[in-house]
Amino acid sequence: MLAKIRNFSIIAHIDHGKSTLADRLLEFTHTIEKRDMREQVLDTMDLERERGITIKAQAIRMEYKGYILNLIDTPGHVDFSYEVSRSLAACEGALLLVDATQGIEAQTLANAHLAKQNNLKIIPVINKIDLPAAEPAKIAEELFNVFGITEDEIILVSAKDGHGVKELLDSIIKNVPPPQGQKSAPLQALIFDSHYDSFRGVIAYVRVINGEIKTGEPIHFMGTQGNYEAIEIGTLKLGMQPRASLGPGEVGYLVAGVKEVKECRVGDTVTSTKSPAPSPLPGYKPIKPMVFCGFFPLAGEDYENLKEAVGKLQLNDAALTFEPETSAALGFGLRCGFLGLLHLEIVQERLEREFNLNIIATAPNVIYKIIKHNKQNLIVDNPSSMPPATEIASIEEPYLKLTIFAPTEFVGPVMTITTEKRGNFINMEYLDPTRVMMTFEIPLSEVISEYHDQLKSVSHGYASMDYEVIGYKESDLVKMDILLNAEPVDALSIIVHRDQAYPKGKKLVEKLKEVIPRHQFTIPIQASIGAKVIARENISAIKKNVLAKCYGGDITRKRKLLEKQKAGKKRMKRVGSVDLPQEAFLAVLRLGK
Amino acid sequence: MRTIHDSRFTIHSLYIHIPFCKKKCNYCDFVSYAGKEALINKYIETVCQEIASCFTPHSSPLTTIYFGGGTPTLLSPKHFEKIFQHLTPLIPLSITDGEGETRSVAEGGGEACEISIEANPGTANKAKLKTLRELGINRLSIGAQSFNDRHLKVLGRIHTAEDILRFYDDSRAAGFDNINLDLIFALPNQTLADWQKDLQTAMAQQPNHLSTYNLQIEDGTPFWTSINPHPHPLSHRERGEKEGYDKKKNQGEGVLELPNEETELAMYEYTIETLTKAGYTHYEISNFSKPGYECQHNISYWLNKNYLGIGAGAHSHINGKRWSNPNCIEKYIKTPSSFLPLIKGENVDPGETIFMGLRLLDGISKEHFNGFEKEVTKLTQSGLLIQDNHNIKLTRKGLYLANEVFKKFV
Repeated sequence: MLAKIRNFSIIAHIDHGKSTLADRLLEFTHTIEKRDMREQVLDTMDLERERGITIKAQAIRMEYKGYILNLIDTPGHVDFSYEVSRSLAACEGALLLVDATQGIEAQTLANAHLAKQNNLKIIPVINKIDLPAAEPAKIAEELFNVFGITEDEIILVSAKDGHGVKELLDSIIKNVPPPQGQKSAPLQALIFDSHYDSFRGVIAYVRVINGEIKTGEPIHFMGTQGNYEAIEIGTLKLGMQPRASLGPGEVGYLVAGVKEVKECRVGDTVTSTKSPAPSPLPGYKPIKPMVFCGFFPLAGEDYENLKEAVGKLQLNDAALTFEPETSAALGFGLRCGFLGLLHLEIVQERLEREFNLNIIATAPNVIYKIIKHNKQNLIVDNPSSMPPATEIASIEEPYLKLTIFAPTEFVGPVMTITTEKRGNFINMEYLDPTRVMMTFEIPLSEVISEYHDQLKSVSHGYASMDYEVIGYKESDLVKMDILLNAEPVDALSIIVHRDQAYPKGKKLVEKLKEVIPRHQFTIPIQASIGAKVIARENISAIKKNVLAKCYGGDITRKRKLLEKQKAGKKRMKRVGSVDLPQEAFLAVLRLGK
Repeated sequence: MRTIHDSRFTIHSLYIHIPFCKKKCNYCDFVSYAGKEALINKYIETVCQEIASCFTPHSSPLTTIYFGGGTPTLLSPKHFEKIFQHLTPLIPLSITDGEGETRSVAEGGGEACEISIEANPGTANKAKLKTLRELGINRLSIGAQSFNDRHLKVLGRIHTAEDILRFYDDSRAAGFDNINLDLIFALPNQTLADWQKDLQTAMAQQPNHLSTYNLQIEDGTPFWTSINPHPHPLSHRERGEKEGYDKKKNQGEGVLELPNEETELAMYEYTIETLTKAGYTHYEISNFSKPGYECQHNISYWLNKNYLGIGAGAHSHINGKRWSNPNCIEKYIKTPSSFLPLIKGENVDPGETIFMGLRLLDGISKEHFNGFEKEVTKLTQSGLLIQDNHNIKLTRKGLYLANEVFKKFV
């Protein structure tokens, strides 16, 4: 049985054609008939389709030449690298997919490393060979330089027109090792993904490593210590296909009446209550949010709705955390934690789109470790809870190892923007004569301040980045407050490096002046550190705003114009007597432009 | 059929749109076209058909008629004669005054129907003016815009300041005793002193009525293109901040510089003070008249009364419904009158009656504000609205910030 199973995933940089290749494999193996094919079947969330990335992993079972091929899809963004590593841990092989026009990018490398750590057999695939700009020979050279992959291992495909798909399937059967495992051993099944279904509770995606999981048997989650019953198990084609049991090497789903995904963590081991495994599978770690921000409803009465909505999202998102936050300026809201900026944006967008909530998001920040003079240690995830400077002995902030791939002509600009954001240059390697890989150490707080946008902009879109957290380092940081009309607005406070405080304060008040609409009175904007004001601007009062002309034929148009002005105001949050647009809270991120 | 003689409502105001121009002005975003004169004959025929389809000999008489454009004075006398063949039965010949005395038009009494026409000083001679007057048109609205030739050129007008003065005299000579002058201020490169001079020149002619408009840069006009990329012109964000001028951009040979908000305000304040002192009543945001010469037709718009629009792009409002004819002349001509309007009506929002009515300096009666009590209280507290026994109206501050008031009611 085991000899006929192949478990693999596809790893690739964003837009290198992973979803399209998956579609072709499903079609070629007749798992889905062409007429039922929607583009990119595996990306099911609307947001995933729109953004062209995979957020949730999924699995699908194909049958080909008497073999069972389980394709385990992986998330495609650095925010979700833990999920990627767990998906890979459920496989024996990985297709390393590289775009024939782009070459190796940051996520190609990061994902390939994860695959190697998990001892996966790598099948290199060059995609998009149908494009006129394809340079397979050059990409092959890069693959050799970076991974030592020789040309005869590489399979050339066009996921678009199906070229090479048959060879690829044959190669998977030939080269990906069959799973190992003992049916008689105690049950060990790896949870590599899960999602919440409002009717059936959490549906866990599992790979059985040892033993057998059977319908109706009591089970135990070794990490979260949860005890459940395997209500239904089965395999995944386009829908769920119930089965009595899953044996070693098999991939499928598990329904066990679990109410929230945080009870069913990715990376956890499922075992049998009757004869538990002596130890869980390696690699499990509870995921911790890295980036925090406040969500506040525009209308105060929406607070309960917001709490309920975030709670609902959390059912299906174990990485999302939240707790109530009270801001003097913005009222009741939630302090939410995320894996990264993309994760934050997705949650915000879903709250607005799926729950119809109008919210203000404060500027994201990281977790600071503070050591006070009295030797007390503090963890601060919100600038407004920073103790007074006089009590602080030192502050530490999270640092990243940042890897950037870029054509050589952009080395200068990349170096400039990265060092401006307090990045320390570590190393540079040539992939081939035209492209380099640069490594930096940089504070996470700088990377979440639109670093990615700046990188794309200075490299005309050619640079790609990836990062991993390497730990905490001490930094000379200060809290900067913003005062509007002489009143401090706690939700606008930020933590900045002391050397950057003056220029950032100056730019920030200028930016705020630009984005805060004029009112019927003058509004002073000040930036201060402690009691010391370091920058100031005034928003002048609006003195005249009147439509000079309005006759019979103009009414509809003018009304629309007034409605537009009014709608703009509705999207704002009143703080004291000042209406603040969302942009004001994000102004701190946009100081580079 | 769309015969408007339903007993449930009456129409007293009629608008007729003439969408032809010799040349399109740089600030204009009205439905008007240059170089389509070949369509005029056919257009007038369609207008006549549309009037005929809307009225019967039993329709109630009209109290105002307004020829707007475009440039209505571009038409020849015979075109007007044709239109008036259809209009005359709808125009009452005389009016009963306060004492019950009936005085006919010929006796110099108040005419029963205010018939206005917009006139471009570059498009009519004495003879044409005389015909218009004889046909019964009794109010002339002259598009002067400025008395500064340099500014007239920037605006894209086809006449000079001298043309305006001559045209004004010809109009008086042709028997027009109710004349309005249209002026625009806050023009590119215009100083407060320039505007003061314009206004003084206009007043020296002793018009019965003055419309003074702050220039609005409308989307899609040549002015708009030469000023963008910038935020919407109505968000005066950048305009109030720097001294002197801003919004610089090449515009043809010169530079298009718009006065800032402070200057605009000074121009507007000067206008209000000067005209009020000279005996004009400031009765609408941009309109001033000698007592008794308020434009009744336009007041019907501001009071959100019923009116019927004839011609391409013309809007109508009858009993809470608003609709419009197609903007395109060719499409309008091709559409049989009985199928008009093509654009479906929309319901008039109660807020519209408020924001239109508040344009009048006397305001409108309190009952219109039912359901908006909270807004009225707030706006009164912030000094933008004021109430007397019957009416709610804008304060002086509210006049300058009228949009801030209006948007509370939409």
